[in-house]
Parts: sequence; C-alpha cells; structure tokens
Amino acid sequence: MELITQGAEAHLYKTTYLTPSTPAALKIRPSKPYRHPILDRRLTRQRVLQEARCLVRLVREGVNVPAVLAVDWELRDNSSSGGEANGNGNGYAAGAGNGAWILMEWIDGVMLKEVFRAWEGYVKSRTGLSDAEREGEEGKVKCLLRRIGVAVGLLHKAGVVHGDLTTSNLILKSQAAQTNGVDGDGDGKGEVGTVSPHMEGEIVLIDFGLASQSIQDEDRAVDLYVLERAFGSTHPRTERFFGEVLEGYRGSYRGAGSVMKRLEDVRMRGRKRSMIG
Amino acid sequence: MAASLLETIHLAHLPPSMPVHVAVYRDVQNAPFLRQQLLAANAEFEYAFIDASVVLSRTHLLSAVFRAVNDSMNGRLKSRNVHSEIVFSLNPTTNIAESFRKFGITDSTKDLLVVKVSVTPEITHDSVAAHLGQHVEGSPVPFDDETLAKIADVAKIKKAYKLGALNTAPPKQANGTQDDGMRRLELSVLGAIALRGAT
Amino acid sequence: MIAIGLESSANKLGVGIIRHPDDGSTPQVLSNVRHTYVTPPGEGFLPKDTARHHRAWVVKLVKKALREARVLPRDIDCVCFTKGPGMGAPLQSAAITARMLSLLWGKELVGVNHCVGHIEMGRLITGATNPVVLYVSGGNTQVIAYSSQRYRIFGETLDIAVGNCLDRFARTLHISNDPAPGYNIEQLAKKGKRLVDLPYTVKGMDISMSGILAAIDGLAVQYGLDGEGKDDEEDDASSEKPTRADLCFSLQETIYSMLVEITERAMAHVGSKEVLIVGGVGCNERLQEMMGIMARDRGGTVHATDERFCIDNGIMIAQAGLLAYKAGVPTPLKESTCTQRFRTDDVFVKWRD
Repeated sequence: MELITQGAEAHLYKTTYLTPSTPAALKIRPSKPYRHPILDRRLTRQRVLQEARCLVRLVREGVNVPAVLAVDWELRDNSSSGGEANGNGNGYAAGAGNGAWILMEWIDGVMLKEVFRAWEGYVKSRTGLSDAEREGEEGKVKCLLRRIGVAVGLLHKAGVVHGDLTTSNLILKSQAAQTNGVDGDGDGKGEVGTVSPHMEGEIVLIDFGLASQSIQDEDRAVDLYVLERAFGSTHPRTERFFGEVLEGYRGSYRGAGSVMKRLEDVRMRGRKRSMIG
Repeated sequence: MAASLLETIHLAHLPPSMPVHVAVYRDVQNAPFLRQQLLAANAEFEYAFIDASVVLSRTHLLSAVFRAVNDSMNGRLKSRNVHSEIVFSLNPTTNIAESFRKFGITDSTKDLLVVKVSVTPEITHDSVAAHLGQHVEGSPVPFDDETLAKIADVAKIKKAYKLGALNTAPPKQANGTQDDGMRRLELSVLGAIALRGAT
Repeated sequence: MIAIGLESSANKLGVGIIRHPDDGSTPQVLSNVRHTYVTPPGEGFLPKDTARHHRAWVVKLVKKALREARVLPRDIDCVCFTKGPGMGAPLQSAAITARMLSLLWGKELVGVNHCVGHIEMGRLITGATNPVVLYVSGGNTQVIAYSSQRYRIFGETLDIAVGNCLDRFARTLHISNDPAPGYNIEQLAKKGKRLVDLPYTVKGMDISMSGILAAIDGLAVQYGLDGEGKDDEEDDASSEKPTRADLCFSLQETIYSMLVEITERAMAHVGSKEVLIVGGVGCNERLQEMMGIMARDRGGTVHATDERFCIDNGIMIAQAGLLAYKAGVPTPLKESTCTQRFRTDDVFVKWRD
C-alpha cells in the first residue's frame, strides 16, 4: 500500500479492491490512544459511518463522489483474538492496524488546486498574451468555476454539506491528466507555465471526513464561504472570478437562492466573535 | 461435468491461504435437493447457494464475499458460518431470514451461484469442483460479467436494495449513458452492502 | 530593563516584576505575587465584588512585589497592565492602578493582551520556540499558531470557555472554590472510573461546550448528586449509578479529548511538532498527559508550565509588555483603557520575526 496523505484524523493509502487491477483508496482512522477507549470507539465509529453514509447517499443521488466499496467501523482491540477463520484479531490488511476504515473507489485525476496553480502560473508567465487569447483563457477558467458551482449545488441538493470545501478536495477527472501541463502527482513541482492546463472532464468531490447530512441554508452557506476563503488564500489570480462559482451554484437547484442570501450574512459575520465566557 | 469452470479467486487483502471458489450454473434441475441440504445443515453442503438473478456482477458478489470473510476474521459473524454469512452479506438489512428468502437458493431457482471459501486447507479447487460436479445438476457457465448480466433481474435487484427510485436510464445532463446508470446501480448496491448493520 | 506587570482580568489579582538583562541573557523573574478572590462553594465571582477585592489588595501586592524583587520604582522602565479581554470591572482595577503608578513614577505604560501574555510567558518558561498554543482558562479557549506578526486563532470555543464549563459544574456539585474549582474537580476525577456518555462537540477546528455543561448538569440532578452536603460516596462497582467522581472524570475525559483533537488538527495544518499549553486549565495533569500522548504519536513534544505561570499572574503581563516596550510599542496615557473584548489576533506582534 502506498501512503498518499497523513492528516490529523486519517491516513489515506492507495491500494486495491478485490482484484489487483482495481485501484482503491483506503482511508484509515487510527485509534487515538490519548482518548478513553470507550470514547475512542464511539467517536471513530461515528465518524467513519458519517462519512460512509454521506458518500453512499451521494452515489445513489448521482453526485460525483468516490463510491464506498467496503467499511469497517469497529476499532479492533489489539488484545482480543476472536477470529473464527484464522484465529487472529487483526482481520483486514496489516496496514489498517487497529484502525477503522473506509475503502473507496480510486479517482484518477488532478486536484483542482493544481489546475488553478498551473493556470495562474501560465497566465503570469505569458505577459504577451493577446486580448483574444487572454479572453479565451479567462473563458476557460470561468467555465471550470461554473462547473464547480454546479457540482457543489448538486451536492447540496442531495442533502449533504461537505464541511471542508477547498480546491484540494475537488478533483478534475481527466482522460489524460498527466499530459496537460499539470503535474499529475499533485505535488505541484511539475513544470508550470509552459502550457495552459486542461480543464475538461468531470469534477469529483472528495474527502467527506467533515461532511454531514443537512439541508439548512446556514450549513450550505458556510460550505460556500469556506470555498470562497480557500480561493482567496490559495488562488489570488482566480479569486476575482469566484462569482462564476456562485453563478453555477445558483442555477443548479431550487433553494440555491436563499442559500446565496444567507451567504451574505455569513460573510458579514466572518470569524469575529467575542471571547467572553 | 465441466468442473473446470469453477473459478478460484484470491481476493485482495484476504489471506492467500483463503481463496474463494465460485461457480455459476444455469438451468439447474435440483434446486430443492440443494436447498434441503442447507436446511438439514448437512456439513458436506456448506456452501453459499445464491440465486444468480439477484446478482448484478462479479464485483457485486465478491463484495459480499469480502464483507463476510472480513467479518468472520474479526469474529463478527451474525449467521452460522462464513457461507451463510455470504448470503446474509448480500442483504441490505440485518434480517437473516429475509436475506435467505431474497438472495438464497429457492426451490424454483434456475440460475445458481455457488461460493465456497477455503476455510480449512482440505478445501481446494479440486475438492470443491469434484463435489459440485457430483451434486449440482445444471449447465456450468463462466463467472463473468457478461453471463451475470444476462441472468440478472434488474427490477428485482432494485427492489431488494430499495433502489426503486434510482434511475438506470441515461441521465439528462452530461454525457450519461445506459452504462452510467448500471454503474450507479452497482455502486449503490456496494454501498448498501458495506453499510449493512451500521447504526 | 525591568517591567512591572499588573493582571486583574478575572478573580486573580497578580503583580510581577521581570528583568531582561542588557546582555540579552535569559530574563529573570524578580517577583510574582498573587491574591485570589475565592467565593463560597456553589457561587461564582461577580464583577463588582471581584473588583472590590482587587482594589482592596492591589497596593499591598505592588508593595510586596517591589519588596520581593528588591527593586525601587526608579529601577522600573515601564508599567504593564492587562488591557483585555476579561471582565470589565476587575480589568479596571489594574488599569487604574497602572495609570496611577505611571504618573506617580513617571514611567511609560504598556497595555497587554491577556492571551498574548500567557503565550509569551509560556514560551519564556518552556523554551518552546514556535509551538501551536492551546490557551485554556476560565474565560478563553483557543488554539493559536504564530504566523507573520500575528498569533492566529485556528480554533476556539463557539460559546463558553473550558474553564467556565468546569467552574460551573463545580458550582452544581458545590465543590470548593479553594484553591480553584478546576483543581478540585481534577482531584475528584482521579477517583472516577465510569465514563458516562456526554455530547462530543467538535465542529471543524472549533468546539462548543454549553451542551456538554447542560448534559452533565442534567445527569447530576438526575442522580441526585447536585447541591450542598453531598459526600463523595464510596464507589459501588455493581451499581449502574455514576458517582460524583465519575461525572468529573467523564467531563474531563470528554472535553480534554476535544481540546487535544483540535490541537492536533492545528499541528497537522501548520506542520508543527510542538505544543504549548497555557492558561489556568493548562495546570491540569490529565490534560497535559493526553496532550503528551498525542504529541509523542506525532513525534513531537508538549510544553506546559506549573500553577505559578499557568494561572493568571502579573509576571506574564510584565513579560509581554516588556517585549512590546522594547520593540517600541508603548501605550500613551490617553489610550490606556481596558476592554472586555480584545482578540488575540488583533495584536501586532512586532517583537517576533
């Protein structure tokens, strides 16, 4: 198994499912030894299940997310050995240790973060672009932004909020991701600036670790706000087109309008709170 | 009989010592006999006998096998043994009797999927092939998606997984195709199997 | 250079004197005195009464601090005071005293953000250079990391502070406020064994505490464990009924897990391996232990201070104030006000790179 990322909560590996030729993503939530074991089990189980439930629901609703292939929501107790088949309690793949896990469909593609980064690099390096070329480039990126808005809209329409929308959690599923000016490994060290990146393909939403089922305007608006702020901090040259995301969102489902109104409130509120106990 | 059609599969992440043997038969003549052996708990007939019309694809079946074996290895069997657990694992709910009614062999089963896990070293490809060849009266066919697609009763599957509302016709937007619809159905079914019993 | 610091944002009145040697060697704590306004069991401290206590004690404490430090007013370079955040009336006691001393001694004033005071003192004592900071006290709960001249808040409580939650539960159980309600909860929790189910409310990087308090208060009432005159009964292992100790234990386990979780998230986010715990709740040994396990798992370390510096004190105000003073940011008399609301990230941290 190849370790892809290691966050505070989970480790993500690339592995296979059923056959060696079917790639899959394995997200393991390891036990947290600092927590009381009862609390640890309860929380790990809750979170693995919450994420899996959201994904299963979204797949059923036809939203582009990785499908759930298998889940194990029980933290294994290292000391027990209850296996009928081979008498060991480790069960699943050695790498899962005693963690709970979700095995998901592997999504081949590029993080949108890398696409935007490549695009911003390209536009920056091409000072000699003609107006028509520049317009073409901007049109291309605007179209992608609108599709992001639609993807988020369909997510919300299906009754799920993501909880952590950033351009790292949006994947451009591409036919030839590796050859279009974006480094397919997603480490951002690829050659940037020579070619305008490819922007065709489906957008897939990933990492539902903080997702929940909700149809509240507030939760939906916060999703948009988080994405907006992510653009602000990560893609300064693309941020001015963020309106396109909202345009795409607005048209994607009934109810988007009132979420947009709520977004205004959320923006005003920001993060400034009093700190009085 | 064409015992060579029994396929032996090593599933990723499961111990190499535990291969899974799968055979498909069409036009089965002795379903009542086979079912009777199950009811009588005849140890020689410890198989997962599945009505193939409720199975969409290889992945569908093998996902249920994977779940059952994983649960078994973790001491979480809800039914008698790993083979009954495979039938139970196909079910989206925790009702064991219902899982056998919906997915298990019935007296009228014509298309049959048989699964056997090598839970002991004595269970080998050859031993399983020989035993099945002796006792299943039907035409062996390959365990592949093409064959399963011919047998599968999509309406029945949707009903079994309460996915009646799921649209398997081409979606309006994007470049959706019939295949997309079936793929979605399959992935929804996998999700239901994976989450069974989650409370 | 020498600074005197006055702290009075809650029920502790503290005065401390610090020296930063001219040769740049380690600063020295010359004195650090404190007097706490302790209320009877079952009662919290009210702003008016607390301020009255502070006013009554402040002159005595300043004199004591000078005496212990063996310095004279003329040796002092600046007078530092807590500008906020905190309770209005108590805050004013130190601000007014500081202004008076400033005018009396002819020294410059430095208004200090209370949270920044904790952070700077923690860094000084532990030697942690650039840690993720968990600041937990009766009035504040924040996860902080430094980045380009600001202490940025990564996560915080959405309602009441951790210490406030503990203090109020101590009131429900009529646990003594001497020396501090949180300390007595900690001692009682050591005898607890059963974990009762409480809400666990981490929301992204933030946490919420009010629902937990309501739930644990509810359990105390349900099992008749609230109110006066209840002994800490012997644990009957066969009984389903939780004891007072079990409730304290469960409350600590739950809220400290939440704190460690958001701290770990911040560490992963900024790529830091060091944690510094500051604030009154930071004295809690169970919290330090849990944080230590988490940090070790990440190949890092946890830094904490003892009650002299964890609990509100004057020396931390002197330390942060002197850093600001040396960086050239004194507070003109006209601006030497105090404020109940003063966010950690409002402070321009001129003294760090």
